Amino acid sequence: MRRLLALLLLLVLTATVRGVASGEAAETRSTGLALGFALLAAALAGSLFEHLRLPRVSGYLVFGLMCGPYVADIISRPMARGLQIVNGLAVTLIALIAGLEMNLAHLRPRLGGMLRMGSVVLAVVYAGVFAAIMVAWPWLPIAPEASGMERAAIASVVTTLIVSFSPTVTIAVIAESRARGPLSELVLAIVVLGDLAIILAFALTMQFARWATGGAAPGDVGLLAGLSWEILASIALGAILGASFALYLRHVGRELTLVLLVLCAVLTALAARLHLDAVLAALAAGLVTENLGPRSGNLLKDAVERGALPVLILFFAGAGASLNLEVLAEIGVAAVAVSAVRLALIRLGARWGSRAAGLGPLLAQLSWTGLVSQGGVTLGLAVLVTSGFPEWGAEAQTLAVALISLHVLVGPILFRAALARAGEVGGLDAAGEGRA
Amino acid sequence: MAHGPEPGEMGGPDPIDSALEAGGGATAAGRLHVLFRSRAALGLAPAAAPALLFVPLGVVLGPAALGLLSDEALTHLDTVVSLALAALGVFIGLGLDVRPAERRLLAAASMESLLTVALVASTTAFLLARWDLRLEAPSAVVALALGIVASASSAGAAEEWHDLPHQSATRIADLDDVAPILIGGFVIAAAAHGPSAPSAGLLTVATIAIGVAGALAGWLLFETATGEAERAVFVAGAVLLVAGCAAYMGVSPLLAGLAAGVCWRLLPGPADRVVRENLRKFQHPLVVVLLVVAGATLSRSVPGVWLLAPFLTFRLAGKLIGGWFASRLAAGVTPSHLGSYLIAPGVLGIAFALNFRQVSASRAGDALLFAGAVGSLLSEVLALFAVPPKRQS
Repeated sequence: MRRLLALLLLLVLTATVRGVASGEAAETRSTGLALGFALLAAALAGSLFEHLRLPRVSGYLVFGLMCGPYVADIISRPMARGLQIVNGLAVTLIALIAGLEMNLAHLRPRLGGMLRMGSVVLAVVYAGVFAAIMVAWPWLPIAPEASGMERAAIASVVTTLIVSFSPTVTIAVIAESRARGPLSELVLAIVVLGDLAIILAFALTMQFARWATGGAAPGDVGLLAGLSWEILASIALGAILGASFALYLRHVGRELTLVLLVLCAVLTALAARLHLDAVLAALAAGLVTENLGPRSGNLLKDAVERGALPVLILFFAGAGASLNLEVLAEIGVAAVAVSAVRLALIRLGARWGSRAAGLGPLLAQLSWTGLVSQGGVTLGLAVLVTSGFPEWGAEAQTLAVALISLHVLVGPILFRAALARAGEVGGLDAAGEGRA
Repeated sequence: MAHGPEPGEMGGPDPIDSALEAGGGATAAGRLHVLFRSRAALGLAPAAAPALLFVPLGVVLGPAALGLLSDEALTHLDTVVSLALAALGVFIGLGLDVRPAERRLLAAASMESLLTVALVASTTAFLLARWDLRLEAPSAVVALALGIVASASSAGAAEEWHDLPHQSATRIADLDDVAPILIGGFVIAAAAHGPSAPSAGLLTVATIAIGVAGALAGWLLFETATGEAERAVFVAGAVLLVAGCAAYMGVSPLLAGLAAGVCWRLLPGPADRVVRENLRKFQHPLVVVLLVVAGATLSRSVPGVWLLAPFLTFRLAGKLIGGWFASRLAAGVTPSHLGSYLIAPGVLGIAFALNFRQVSASRAGDALLFAGAVGSLLSEVLALFAVPPKRQS
């Protein structure tokens, strides 16, 4: 009852302030209002979803969607843009959390199986989606006049977009469910490895498309060198910062929440300035901290929890407010069809992959749910496609945005349900208590 | 607003500071030394005269020097500045005590600060009428704003002071911010929306209403929080909401924060303790951001140089005279030479000047920030030598 009253008060206050002080000048100062309103109201939506045994992340997303500019317009377009101020920080923080969850000594016995499964899943989904696109080309709203090698090249780029996962969303669901167990570890490893593979595949298919559309010669050494730099330098940057953080943990070990957030902010800024992959760098930082740093127990866990919660809330509320429903309405039927094919192939790939890796029936049955979500990575790649191929890139981006809208809403719910079915929700707390 | 060290994530000496020799508060050099201890220098712990370190740092990092803090970055930091202003207001509101003994101190403190405001504002208004500085803002508003910037004082230092006169001087310095923040709410509204009294008055009332509504919403939420992390989110969200609403409407986040702080203080339950504990972790970093942004925003301003003279002269006079009157009003509690304790301006004056600059991007805003920031730094230096030596009991 109190929470309902608070929500009502929040809505009235925000709507009144927006009504009284409308205008361009006010909208330029709207970031604080957007952040405050979203932090409180989305947190409420998250806790409501948790009561309904749904992921909190979905609550934040649905809140953003409902209050966003396409539905209730309590969060206007400038406010939605203001919410994205935390995006870089959030993505880095989530990847850092994923790295902190990866204890190599603990994972080593299962690493081979995870790699085998990930490879099979990617191969099956990639081949299947590519074949489906080639067959359904006349009905897809992307460059219908393209034929032969050009069509194959464009299809390979679009396939990369469709196949891509969202490590951010998957990791966020694991983090907020405080899940620990074989399923969360397997899915975490696959989305991280999948992210690397997708980045590599994207660079190669973009080069293929450039050649096929008459833009560049194949085998461009500069591209491979750039890609190697991006991957290796990202890992090196993350490792250096992770080692610094491990040293800080060992010798000072105070103000961890603040230092963690500052570390993520520095990592984000450096990655942007050096054109590196912030996700990869943060993952490496987390990995180094977890595997080389001291055993900090609950201290680091509490710091991560304190720092991550507000950032996650704002990140996903912002993502929800930015979901473009107009695009979904425009090419909804095509997007739903593509989505259905993708989901079927992911499920098939996960089943075959787990068989190849010798994993148990439960993992074979549930692991596909962690690979459904799409988000920032897909959107980032789609933007690059549009800027690289303006003649058909915009259509590909529209399809990608529609797919993101679907998968970001469905994916977390499916994965949270699977984690609950596997009995892994709250596993981190149980493990902590066990250690204590 | 000085709080003692506590065990936990924030506060207390860390291994680096413990390795350093403890800074003394008896001499000017000793007080300055505290500034350069690692935690204070990083903005993680309170320090005497933090403005002396962080405003010049902001100038160096800002667009006028190294350019590491670009104009675009400063625009993005506007939200953090509003949050810092609201958080300062909340702390002042939480510190308000309505017990009779405290009421006497509040009355004394308000008289001291109002006297300083009146002295600086009236002389500045008189001088502005003579100087014809073309500030692109009404002289009365600028003069009143300068008076408010000048009225801030901070007797608290980084260490614990054990002598009673200094403790009551610290309390007076905390309480003397209340009346200027109230008037400041009117001045910010007038600077942002025009000086017509009725609309500025209404907006001042609206500012208080924002603080109260935000505080109530926050209270309803963090009373029902299921864990520490969720409670921290609700506290941060409530302060951010108050700051955001005030910034959106172009009114004073300081006043909105003050209203929220008073509300939390008066509401049943441990609301004030919850807010203080959660907000304290970010208090010093926010103050650092505020001071660095003020330094980076600082630009050379000829009218600002002119305003500096009445600021320094009449602020000092106001503090000494106001302090003398206040010590008569709260006789037995405050030292007779209270004024000398109140020379240090602290951060609130700079914070108010920065807020004025946010809402009034005119020559007046630049001039006020210049006079307020440089004047505060000079007053801090003066205070290092003027404050009576610490007496350990």
